Amino acid sequence: MPNQNSPTRYNAVAQAFHWIIAALIVTQFTLGWTAQFLPLGARKVARLDWHKSFGMTILTLAVLRLLWRLFNRPPELPAGMTTIEKSLARATHVLFYVLLFVMPLTGWMMSSAKNYSVSWFHQFTWPNLIGPNEQAFNLLRTTHDTLSWLLFALALLHILAALKHHFWDKDDVLKRMLPFTKTEKRS
Amino acid sequence: MKKLALAATSTLIIAAATAAAADSVASFAAAAEQSRLEFAGVQAGAEFKGVFHKFTASVEFAPDALASSRIDVQIDMNSVDTMDKDRDTTIRSKDVFDVSHNPTAHYVTKTVTKTATGFAAVGALTLRGVTKDVPIEFQFAPAAGGAKLSGSAKLNRLDFGVGQGEWKSTETIGDAVKINFSLVLKPKT
Repeated sequence: MPNQNSPTRYNAVAQAFHWIIAALIVTQFTLGWTAQFLPLGARKVARLDWHKSFGMTILTLAVLRLLWRLFNRPPELPAGMTTIEKSLARATHVLFYVLLFVMPLTGWMMSSAKNYSVSWFHQFTWPNLIGPNEQAFNLLRTTHDTLSWLLFALALLHILAALKHHFWDKDDVLKRMLPFTKTEKRS
Repeated sequence: MKKLALAATSTLIIAAATAAAADSVASFAAAAEQSRLEFAGVQAGAEFKGVFHKFTASVEFAPDALASSRIDVQIDMNSVDTMDKDRDTTIRSKDVFDVSHNPTAHYVTKTVTKTATGFAAVGALTLRGVTKDVPIEFQFAPAAGGAKLSGSAKLNRLDFGVGQGEWKSTETIGDAVKINFSLVLKPKT
């Protein structure tokens, strides 16, 4: 399969993956972080029910996105970037991919450890990954929670970097992921 | 006249004896260690299972004397276990089982009938202070040193007021609950 991205632009599939998953992650933070403060009750169960369904959606999309990414190289980074900047950018993106898997997986394992199986929008139930285990649950919850802060920090860095490229460096790094925009063809 | 009276009396005795024979049921008690009482509900769209660790069952049964067969089960509602402490605490609370006011549930059959595959019964279930008929289906298999009785039932938790306030919503916790039981029966001494 030929590379579907142009040298200067992410194509529609890459953009769709990026923005749909970004929107889902914002939703997940809203549901997950607010659910923590709810007392144990029907409202909390219902909110985490949505959180789990969206989380499993992200995991599924992450698998597809990774497969797609393996066959489609992203546009090259601007020539003006230093080696350190390029390494940092790559590391950030690798870590994003890791978290796209680890966040849903630790969440799924948490649910399994608590013997609360994960449903996908009440359509079907995912199998439990591990058996009921209170200690494992506590450890997984701490991991899931700590990693959510890492993801938050990473997203912040990612957004600030994109804005820096756009307004400071005045390159096309932000625009090539934005739909309905045009990037200059590189000669 | 005397002869007639004698004949009538002996007929009565024979009839009574036959009736007694047909009515003879064996009395059993469930062995606590080997018997199991499970339930399965739906929480947030996914099934969860629980068990009652403590219950007693008294069974009088004979396949050819169903009219006098009876299953009587007392369940200690505090012994509920869904493999999660938080959920168990919630289940024992006032809005769900309300164990402080209703520590036991009771099931006793009214009629037992034969079905194509085994047996069926209708009994009165008293749960959270509400008594309603619940049908069950079961198999009865004589075994060495007793018998095995296993079967299932379906009920709607809201029929018994299990789930008040925020737990009434069937969106979060489904109304239908499946029951499965497997009793290892030993003859009563």
